[in-house]
Amino acid sequence: MPKILKPLVVIVLAVAVAAGAAVYLSRQADQPEETAAPTHADIKGGGHIRGPEKASLTLVEFGDYQCPSCGAYHPLVKEIQNRYPQQLRLEFHHFPLVSIHPNSMLASKAAEAAGEQGRYWEMHDALFEHQREWSDSPNAEPIFVALASQMGLDSNKFMQGLRSPQLQDRILRDVEQGQNAKVDAVPTFFINGERVHIKLSMEDFVQVIQAHLPK
Amino acid sequence: MKTRSAVVAILAFIGMVDALYLSIKRNAGPIPCHVTRGCTDVLTSKYSEIAGIPISWFGVGFYIVMFSLVAFKIFEDPKHPSDWLTASIFYLAGAALVVSALLVGIQAFILKAFCEYCLLSAVLVLTMFLLAPSPGRRKLPA
Repeated sequence: MPKILKPLVVIVLAVAVAAGAAVYLSRQADQPEETAAPTHADIKGGGHIRGPEKASLTLVEFGDYQCPSCGAYHPLVKEIQNRYPQQLRLEFHHFPLVSIHPNSMLASKAAEAAGEQGRYWEMHDALFEHQREWSDSPNAEPIFVALASQMGLDSNKFMQGLRSPQLQDRILRDVEQGQNAKVDAVPTFFINGERVHIKLSMEDFVQVIQAHLPK
Repeated sequence: MKTRSAVVAILAFIGMVDALYLSIKRNAGPIPCHVTRGCTDVLTSKYSEIAGIPISWFGVGFYIVMFSLVAFKIFEDPKHPSDWLTASIFYLAGAALVVSALLVGIQAFILKAFCEYCLLSAVLVLTMFLLAPSPGRRKLPA
């Protein structure tokens, strides 16, 4: 065998084995871990709802406004609601990972404070759409106040909301529900109580929704 | 020297699996961490890609090139060792170490979230750099 062939054979074999191992491991990781994360959860409402009350599917999202991944999923969630306006409703629950996202709790409070003035979903969308502007800020509050002001909210009421212990309690109730449902990453989605793994693609989102629509 | 090269080859192989795994998983939804917290945050942050290409794919390319160079080093004629191969392995590992340090810094100080797969890659690169044959270290002719 020519000398150059030996290393070439080893390289080709190594790349093939590595690719096989990576595909195998990624598929293993996709298998639901029943003991760590049950496939079903009894989520007792309480989240913010967007969509028709009589929709056959309820998409529950546990999300964190500072989480880049949640920000990446946000346009997909909006688009999927546009595609299934009658069949699907969204129920959003706060799940701020405060240990790694220092602005996430304040962002949740900003959404709740806007909700006190009937504008929860506008602030919800604005927080995700402007996530990069406030995410790394050492003082995000003025940015949230500016967003509220742009939306025409009463600034004083909004500021009161940001400091309201009742609104914080509401967020913490969501967190507790998430913990009970063994949420261990954000965003985590459930459809009619069933935990679903949705890839970051519209095609996959549509497939998952189609699979759950009543036949 | 061959033993050290063999160890570098094994590390490069592990790195290949790690980087390929991340590249496959990156667009497959949330990536759960088992040791650290924030894998998904790191892997979907604006720092996770260059010109639209996920950094993990650059990692795949690096590990394949590194493995290939080391494979040629292992099978080279011991009587005529290639200085070019030795220098390429050493400087490639050094460059990767600088990039890894930068990426760990971004995780620690900007994202404040760590991805265990990225940290594993950084440890692999550091170990490969320490084990890589140094181009300055040559035996004197007898």
